[in-house]
Amino acid sequence: MSIVDHVSGRFANLTNLERRTSRQFVEGMLFALPYLVVFVSFLLYPLVKGGYMSLFEWNVFDPSASTFVGLGNYARLLGDPDFWNALWNTVYFAVLTVPTIVLVSLGLALGVNRDIRGRGVLRAIFFSPYILTVTVAATIWVDFYSTQYGVINHYLGMVVSNPPKWLQSQLFAMPAISITTVWWLVGFSFVVLLAARQSVPEYLYEAAKLDGAGTWRMFRDVTIPQMRYALFFVVVVNIIWTFQVFGQPYVMTSGGPGQATETLVMYLYQAAFNQRSFGYAAAVGYVLTGILVLVSIGNYYFIGGGANE
Amino acid sequence: MSDATASSRFEFGALTDVSLRSVLVHVAMYGAGVVFLLPYVYMVSTSLSTKQAAIQPGMNWIPSPVTFATYVRLLSESQVVAWTINTIVIASVTTFLVLLFDSMVAFSLTRLDWPGQRLILGVVVASFMVPGFVNIIPLYTFISNLGLLNSYLAVIFPFVAGPLGVFMLVQFFDNIPDEIQEAARLDGFSAFRIYTHIVLPLSRSILTALGLFIFVWSWNQFLWPLIVLQEEAKYTLPIGVVIIQDTFSFQPALTMAGALVASGPLFVLFLLVQDQLISAVEMQGVT
Repeated sequence: MSIVDHVSGRFANLTNLERRTSRQFVEGMLFALPYLVVFVSFLLYPLVKGGYMSLFEWNVFDPSASTFVGLGNYARLLGDPDFWNALWNTVYFAVLTVPTIVLVSLGLALGVNRDIRGRGVLRAIFFSPYILTVTVAATIWVDFYSTQYGVINHYLGMVVSNPPKWLQSQLFAMPAISITTVWWLVGFSFVVLLAARQSVPEYLYEAAKLDGAGTWRMFRDVTIPQMRYALFFVVVVNIIWTFQVFGQPYVMTSGGPGQATETLVMYLYQAAFNQRSFGYAAAVGYVLTGILVLVSIGNYYFIGGGANE
Repeated sequence: MSDATASSRFEFGALTDVSLRSVLVHVAMYGAGVVFLLPYVYMVSTSLSTKQAAIQPGMNWIPSPVTFATYVRLLSESQVVAWTINTIVIASVTTFLVLLFDSMVAFSLTRLDWPGQRLILGVVVASFMVPGFVNIIPLYTFISNLGLLNSYLAVIFPFVAGPLGVFMLVQFFDNIPDEIQEAARLDGFSAFRIYTHIVLPLSRSILTALGLFIFVWSWNQFLWPLIVLQEEAKYTLPIGVVIIQDTFSFQPALTMAGALVASGPLFVLFLLVQDQLISAVEMQGVT
């Protein structure tokens, strides 16, 4: 406080109003400063710097010796089949995972919302995997999928003669990672949708019932429209998460078999820290961000626009 | 057939329909609950099994004999103690700084009145759109230039820069009635006293929820610590789990013991304060 008094004291010759304004400005800045310093240094500055770096063939050891290549990194990226493979894998992972998470979390939320015994226990169980770190979730499921001692194939082997090789199979590796991800992350969406369902006013259902609406009609004409913002939020958040998938394939498959589960962030990580192409990796980051912004805007028009009808 | 019979038959039919549906819902929900719990059962029982029993195919429901040998081995043959300390320090300091800095800036942006605050709030909120990985490369060179690689601060600062807490607190502080603040001003309260004696006490529940969420979130971070921590002794538990898996390949007892050490403290925390933690998630859905 003494700093505030001291600084504002220096403005004693100003008019009353000006003095009040400048004192408020100093006060406001003092409270805002600690966060703003960290925010600008560790979020805003890197964001701008990354765009700058993406225009160079960046020299890690001597940045001043970097060569300006303009949009060369972006051109190189568009011509790299490994980039397209990683993009395709990421989209495939999102297509497998996002609808599943949304449907499962909606089902669980509507189920738990019903008149059910032990609602609190069920809520805790469905939410709990979300508090795990990605490597714990992934290592448990690596064991589950194991072809030597895995639980899944032990029981599946009793039913079918030739159970899939899960993480070692081109076909099943990505769905296997997707199943793990659904178990790990569905709790977040479940809690959001449960809260949204619980805030739908009960009189809407009573009115619908008086109008002779059945369960399906109530679901379609009351529940879904009333929960549309929460559903929109859940869809967008899950798309953003799945596009950034890294830990699950890193632990479970290392991007394999072959490159079947190499995702965009893994591609970026390898470009930066295995090949030391920092400028190129920065370009990959910008492209991925661009995709995410477009997807968010698209969703806004698709779901948000429908909400206005 | 009279009207009365028809309507009573209808009600009777509806009743069994409702109770049948209720049974089905119970079966489905508890069935899903059991499936959700299976990975935990596997993790706990495998970590308590002997090396041999752990690689028996099929579900190892109850280990026999129960042994803690794996945990003893983990203590002597890995740096799990250092990882645990690192993780606790990083998660605690991050949480403390987020609560302090975010509440201060949110107070300044909502309860004080100064030119430029709208612009700053706009920039902070807009930064929500920035996905973390886009900053990985420039942030790495920046941290490296500061000489912070391999330090706690290398992990902590980028976590504290995140806008989530500011966003949540701004909305909450905005809804504190102006009258309370006006009355305090008339009583001669300085801005600092309004912050410490009015705003912070009123926000205890949201600060608790936010703090718990940030603690769990920073405890669990994987990619960023993996990049800036480059010595095994500096690693956090999420990285340690991978190290254990690589060092002791095909020894599920050890991997699962490591996984339990990495997640156990959060489970205890979750059981103690699950309502606050869940409400932090609900708040994000409302925004």
